[in-house]
Amino acid sequence: MGRILIVDDTMFMRTLLKNILFSGGHEIVGEAADGTEAVAKYQDLKPDLVTMDVVMPKMNGIEALKEIKKMDPGARVVMCTAVGQEQMVKLAIKSGARGYVVKPFQAPKVLDEVKNVLAS
Amino acid sequence: MVEAPVKVRHNEGWINCKISIEDEQIIIPAPVSQTIVLKNIVDLQEKKNTLTIYLKDKTEIRLVSVEKVLFVIKHRILMKCSAYRLMAFFMSPAIRGGVLITNAAWEKGAIVVLKSDIWFVTPGKQICIPLTDVSGIEMTKREVDGKKQDVVRIDHLEDQGLVSSFVLTQLSTLQILYNFLSEITAGLSVEGADLDSMDQQIAMLVYSGMDSSTIQNMLQLTFKDIDRIYDKLINLNMAEVKEIRREIHLTAKGVRYITDATKSGTN
Repeated sequence: MGRILIVDDTMFMRTLLKNILFSGGHEIVGEAADGTEAVAKYQDLKPDLVTMDVVMPKMNGIEALKEIKKMDPGARVVMCTAVGQEQMVKLAIKSGARGYVVKPFQAPKVLDEVKNVLAS
Repeated sequence: MVEAPVKVRHNEGWINCKISIEDEQIIIPAPVSQTIVLKNIVDLQEKKNTLTIYLKDKTEIRLVSVEKVLFVIKHRILMKCSAYRLMAFFMSPAIRGGVLITNAAWEKGAIVVLKSDIWFVTPGKQICIPLTDVSGIEMTKREVDGKKQDVVRIDHLEDQGLVSSFVLTQLSTLQILYNFLSEITAGLSVEGADLDSMDQQIAMLVYSGMDSSTIQNMLQLTFKDIDRIYDKLINLNMAEVKEIRREIHLTAKGVRYITDATKSGTN
């Protein structure tokens, strides 16, 4: 089980992810609504894993991922994006993302992905 | 020619026999004595180890055999039957339940569209997608070998989860495949499904696996509100009733029971 930081600009998606991850026994240590907040919270909270939305205001998920990896090369980040944005996968993986989920997602699949990334 | 042991449905019973699988036909020996011309086959359905073959003249032939034998029969049928068929690259499944399958690879094979299913076929693989489970067809772009390429994306439901597959071939063929699939799945269109943002949020939460209580707590709604939106989704054929739960309160007898139980220390 991991300490997780959820990053998404919509409260709805944050609440959904919080419910899913909580039901899987994970601890939600924080939430962020944009990339800048995500980087700051990562530094503060040092979570085991971050779920990161791709399209966000101020700083997008890919930029935030790069910043986090600069701070902590071992950071485990799972990217979350909408259908049709899968071309971001390569960019995200190149930038150090460990996993990727596409919205809409199902709870068991997200939990599996998080479990795999935490184990890696 | 290949011979294969099967059971064939005949006169309300099953006959053990060895069928001959030839290039253009399958021959079932006596007492069935039937020759199935492969190009006369219009549909194929498989349930467990039973294969049902549908012919142009509306006859049905049912065969039972082991997986290995059925694989050979299906391969021969799918490559020769009357269907929309094209050679292409496909990736199936590419996304399952919203999670990208990182080791998914492009495979070269045939895409065969029959009356009730889409099949992805290679010499070692047969993937069947029932048309009734197809939830979306889209022409889109995907990065292949560093280049953005046109692909057709086919979304379908599998165990209540969304699975996506991609087909890659030249653009003109993709366009024909897209048009063909769009036409045969036209009844699945969600146009006119007028959902507001709350309806959409509830639909997404249901898909994610949240139950009514969780949805109620997350969105701060009453059960009546949720019920109304559930009815809307059901009426639009976008959802089905899975189970009906009840809320109860205790009668005086029930309250007496738990009070006594607490007193006597059994609870």
